[in-house]
Amino acid sequence: MSNHIRTGIEEPDRKMLELYYPEIAEITRTKQITELEKWFEIALPGNRDLNHQPGQFVQVSLFGFGEAPISVTSSPTKRGVFELCVRKVGTLTTAMHKLKPGDRIGIRGPFGHGFDLQKMEGKDILIIGGGIGIVPLRSLINTVIDRRSDFGRFIILYGAKTPGELLFKDELKSWREDPTIEYHVTVDQGTPDWDGNVGVITTLIPRLDLNLGNTIAAVVGPPIMYKFVLMALKSKRLPDENIYLSLERRMKCGVGKCGHCQINHSYVCQDGPVYHYPVIKQLPEAIQ
Amino acid sequence: MEKFNLSTSRLNALIKHLMTRGIVYAPHKNGEVSFSFDEVRDPGKVILNYNRTLQSIKKYFLPPREQLLSFSLKSGSLSKVEPENPLRIFLGVHSYDMQAVLRLDYNFSQGNPELNYLKRRQNSLFIGVSFEPDTYHFSRSVGIMVEEFDGFDLFLDKHSSGYTLYVVTQAGEELLSGFDHLEEAPDRPATHREFRNKIKYNFNRLSEVFDHAWDSSVWEEIAQRCVGCGTCNLVCPTCYCFDVEDDVNLSLADGSRYRSWDGCMLNSFAKVAGGENFRADLSDRQRHRVYRKFKYITDVTGEPWCVGCGRCTAYCTAGISIVETVNRLCEEYEQTVLRKPLAKQDWVL
Ligand SMILES: Cc1cc2nc3c(=O)[nH]c(=O)nc-3n(C[C@H](O)[C@H](O)[C@H](O)COP(=O)(O)OP(=O)(O)OC[C@H]3O[C@@H](n4cnc5c(N)ncnc54)[C@H](O)[C@@H]3O)c2cc1C
Ligand code: SF4
Ligand code: SF4
Ligand code: FES
Repeated sequence: MSNHIRTGIEEPDRKMLELYYPEIAEITRTKQITELEKWFEIALPGNRDLNHQPGQFVQVSLFGFGEAPISVTSSPTKRGVFELCVRKVGTLTTAMHKLKPGDRIGIRGPFGHGFDLQKMEGKDILIIGGGIGIVPLRSLINTVIDRRSDFGRFIILYGAKTPGELLFKDELKSWREDPTIEYHVTVDQGTPDWDGNVGVITTLIPRLDLNLGNTIAAVVGPPIMYKFVLMALKSKRLPDENIYLSLERRMKCGVGKCGHCQINHSYVCQDGPVYHYPVIKQLPEAIQ
Repeated sequence: MEKFNLSTSRLNALIKHLMTRGIVYAPHKNGEVSFSFDEVRDPGKVILNYNRTLQSIKKYFLPPREQLLSFSLKSGSLSKVEPENPLRIFLGVHSYDMQAVLRLDYNFSQGNPELNYLKRRQNSLFIGVSFEPDTYHFSRSVGIMVEEFDGFDLFLDKHSSGYTLYVVTQAGEELLSGFDHLEEAPDRPATHREFRNKIKYNFNRLSEVFDHAWDSSVWEEIAQRCVGCGTCNLVCPTCYCFDVEDDVNLSLADGSRYRSWDGCMLNSFAKVAGGENFRADLSDRQRHRVYRKFKYITDVTGEPWCVGCGRCTAYCTAGISIVETVNRLCEEYEQTVLRKPLAKQDWVL
């Protein structure tokens, strides 16, 4: 008889069962790029494309350790496999650093909103990356490089604490050598063999000569960086609507349910992690 | 709407009848002063005359700890865990708790609909019961009457000589089939039920109040008393935030992923690796909790997400009252924004 009584809730769609159910993917290559950061190349079953946008993230499962949100660092122009770069900071990320090619992990996603590529087309692109912020930005950078003629000038500002903490050193070299990229790097503290800029990333901004109306800035870095970068961009008079930034929050589900990532009424896992700056200005909790 | 007389003496017979149709859950005594929803084994133990249960019926749709999937570490295989959904009948539910379930329905069906919740929720029927508001209830202030039928299949309205049993839905009528000798009830004047606990403004004005409440000193003041225990989250029928963690069995061969209730009042709720805590101060956490109840979802749906059950206040370790908090914000709004008391006609309570 139970099935004859109609209650208000319809039979749930079987697809919903997949909401928290990761797909098993295989690690195909790894590289320890600094003491703290390790790079992973990952293949989904059948080498299916992840179909992500630059700036989106996946929930990585290590069974027994849980899940963590990790940005996709490869560009969508790379097909068949995707890449992650993980900093060892705690339980799951330490366990992940022990993984080798052939090991399997769970993947859910891609989740959230990435950078608005359509709006960036035809525009000058200004990348501002602090520390591990270069990891999600690399996805955007390589997209622009692979579709170079779709964009205008391409300026990359990258800052790290020390020269030893700079990531993707081979690629940094090719960015420096690429005549179509204006690449500037700085470190907070130099070393004897460092002959580049020393100082926080904001010191690179005043000297830029920008075509203000036509420049889109993509900013990713530690929370403390945003306030100062935004101040520097404002004093350059870059319009707020030309700025995008990516925010980090604690995340447990990635699908707008667990509440951990909430900033005022916005869920970072859904509306972010990449936000249009005018939206962030409406969120008093976003940047402290 | 069809309605029948139900004398108090036939209540047990009704419960016995319901038990032939599905699993029945109802309020029971839990210790000397507390009540809890539990499965009915003995109809005589059911108590319909109660003020509030410590936990709402939320626990049946969003269990405090729930398995999401299981995995074998040896073979690397995963399996999905799908909740069962036998027919469940919830008897003796107060209108505010029913309204809380309807709000959770929204949270779990919008955006990415969630099977775990919806499946558990699917074969559920609800029989409401009226209640006498105590000093903590204020559901009337958030637009929920004692006799609010929305969501119920049947409703029992208590009066001096028994109950009037209202048949609200088709499913409710089917539930009664086979329960004979019901006699049509006469029309009765509505019972007057006074809420002593009130929010100062009609709930449709609160969104404006909260537009101006962000920088209020109230948050800091209540934070001084709050100990951050998270009890208010734990007992709230519309709180649904959760944590997810893996557990490996002692054999180390396999394990499960669980989700469990979490609360935004707890210190670690917004903390990320590296130690950054996006709501380190209790005042920020208080503000977030109250904005979630009166502003964020309300601006989208038009309905307060606080249903006025009074639990967070009744069980607060530090005696913090949500009605007092909201009323303080209303007063500040009068003083600093309106610069006069709100006109009398805005009192629709
Ligand atoms: C959108 C997004 C993208 C990210 N991209 C990268 C990336 O590309 N590379 C990288 O190395 N790191 C990235 N992070 C940070 C990464 O998720 C955390 O470092 C990781 O969750 C820490 O887990 P742990 O178990 O090693 O740390 P622990 O400190 O042991 O974790 C303790 C608990 O806190 C939770 N937690 C801690 N920090 C975070 C966090 N920032 N977000 C969510 N949950 C957290 C964990 O789930 C766990 O339950 C990203 C975070 C977000 C939100
Ligand atoms: S129950 Fe009271 S003391 Fe505990 S966190 Fe909530 S408001 Fe603070
Ligand atoms: S906020 Fe308090 S009064 Fe409102 S529904 Fe939650 S527990 Fe009940
Ligand atoms: S991560 Fe769970 S709601 Fe955003």
